[in-house]
Amino acid sequence: MVDHISLPLKIAAGLVFAFLIAPSLIVIPMSFSDSREIMFPPSGFSWMLYREYFAGPEWVAATIESTLVATGVTALSLATGVPVAYALVRSRLFGVAIIRAFVMMPMLVPTIVFALGLYIYFARLGISGSTLALILGHSVHNLPFVVLVVIAGLRQVNPNIEVAAQVLGASVLRVFFSVVLPMIAGPIAAAGMFSFLISFDEVVIAWFLSSPRTMTLPIKMYSSIQWEVSPVLAAISTLLTLLSLVICVLGVALRRPEA
Amino acid sequence: MSAVSAASVADATHGRARRAAPDYQKAWFSAPAVVLIAAVFVIPLVIVALQSLYREGFTIAGYEQILGSTLFWRILRTTLEITLEASLLSLLLGYPLAYYIAQLDRTPRAIAMILVLLPFWTSILVKSFAFIVILGEQGIIKTMLRQFLSLELGTSLVFNRIGVMVGMVHFLIPFCVFPILNNLLAQPPELRRAALIMGASRRQVFFRVTFLLSLPAIVASAIMTVVLSIGVFVTPALLGGRRDMMVANLIDYYTREALDWTMAAALAVMLLLISGALIWVLSRVDSIDRH
Repeated sequence: MVDHISLPLKIAAGLVFAFLIAPSLIVIPMSFSDSREIMFPPSGFSWMLYREYFAGPEWVAATIESTLVATGVTALSLATGVPVAYALVRSRLFGVAIIRAFVMMPMLVPTIVFALGLYIYFARLGISGSTLALILGHSVHNLPFVVLVVIAGLRQVNPNIEVAAQVLGASVLRVFFSVVLPMIAGPIAAAGMFSFLISFDEVVIAWFLSSPRTMTLPIKMYSSIQWEVSPVLAAISTLLTLLSLVICVLGVALRRPEA
Repeated sequence: MSAVSAASVADATHGRARRAAPDYQKAWFSAPAVVLIAAVFVIPLVIVALQSLYREGFTIAGYEQILGSTLFWRILRTTLEITLEASLLSLLLGYPLAYYIAQLDRTPRAIAMILVLLPFWTSILVKSFAFIVILGEQGIIKTMLRQFLSLELGTSLVFNRIGVMVGMVHFLIPFCVFPILNNLLAQPPELRRAALIMGASRRQVFFRVTFLLSLPAIVASAIMTVVLSIGVFVTPALLGGRRDMMVANLIDYYTREALDWTMAAALAVMLLLISGALIWVLSRVDSIDRH
């Protein structure tokens, strides 16, 4: 756009930016406090809260569980999401529009409704509270997101390269694995990182599906905020903000195909 | 023949070459996702619907109990109030931000995008914790007011409706900025230039051209914010008070505290119907304005 930017607009935009970024910035100085009291500005400088996080067996166990779940979710959501994105972009069959709506559905249903359904369903199946239950739930929750990112990547590559491979005798499967996948490796990596992060931070589904044995980091944080507002949260929040920043910058860089 | 020259041949004989790979073969690639959605999404939703009608046999007692309870109507009102207010407020703040970002050059725009993406990708728990620190009695805002203006605010800023709204709007703004920004960037600049040449003031150009063309994106954002906020669970629980309980928190109460799955499921079905109705109304608005 080529219009000029008026001063009131600049001020309004600046204020909204400040509001958006304030929570991420505030946790950083808090995390180096040397006191167990939560106050601002924090007193002194120390690594105390970080030591407390890494030395706390419950926090470490929750972090490991979240990492485990998010890794499984990344694998499953990519294994299902990448092929379906390919079908949606390249197949012009009549039923494809229906499949598209079907796959995007989890985005339009409030998460709490889906989480309750999973809770009852997995209880009947006898797998409630397991890591597998968490992986299945999060994979479906993330699927529309993975599909959208991969579709955007596929739209940027020339479909006739695939046609050429076919003309030269490659099977449909061979074209998919040897031609399509390498061309969209960047968007796939971005989708995988996003899927990992969404699962790592997800609260509602995990609240219904996790058990004390499979408590994820967000659930541990949730109970900690609810009951005591422990200062350790500042250290964990800073680390999580750092993780978000890395994934968001890498994701933007990787989303261009053949990058 | 190299792949590149084969590609150019294929470019030339587009129609015939395409038939080499029948579409139904490619459609098979959707099978794993369809199986996953059917087994882990559709079945659970069907189970919720069935459970809402089942308590030792078929019954509509769950729905009767809900519709007859004053608690439900109060919580539904709170939920709709928070949903509509938060959606409106985040559109009001998100639109100028998207408009501003749209006018920036490439590099500043990339930086601005990261400033919007970072809160988007930040855990809701990190944000909730941060807002408790910012808005609490010993928090940053109150401490600064005390120290610099020796002002004591009578009202609390968190664990009430104010806290919920701050948390919700912060959560929703990025969902408004992205669609609106995409729309603004896709609008042909010639239209605005033409309007200016024809003698329109900047204000008229904005309201009669830019804003009208961005209505579909506003509707898309509104649908997203409504779906996200009507089922919200964490924000009212952590930043709200007892009177800011929303439907999602009530579902949680019936599932885990009262252990009444029939009630929980009936509530979930009602929530799904209400959000579906709101989406339907909003998408109608969109199709009217395209005519």
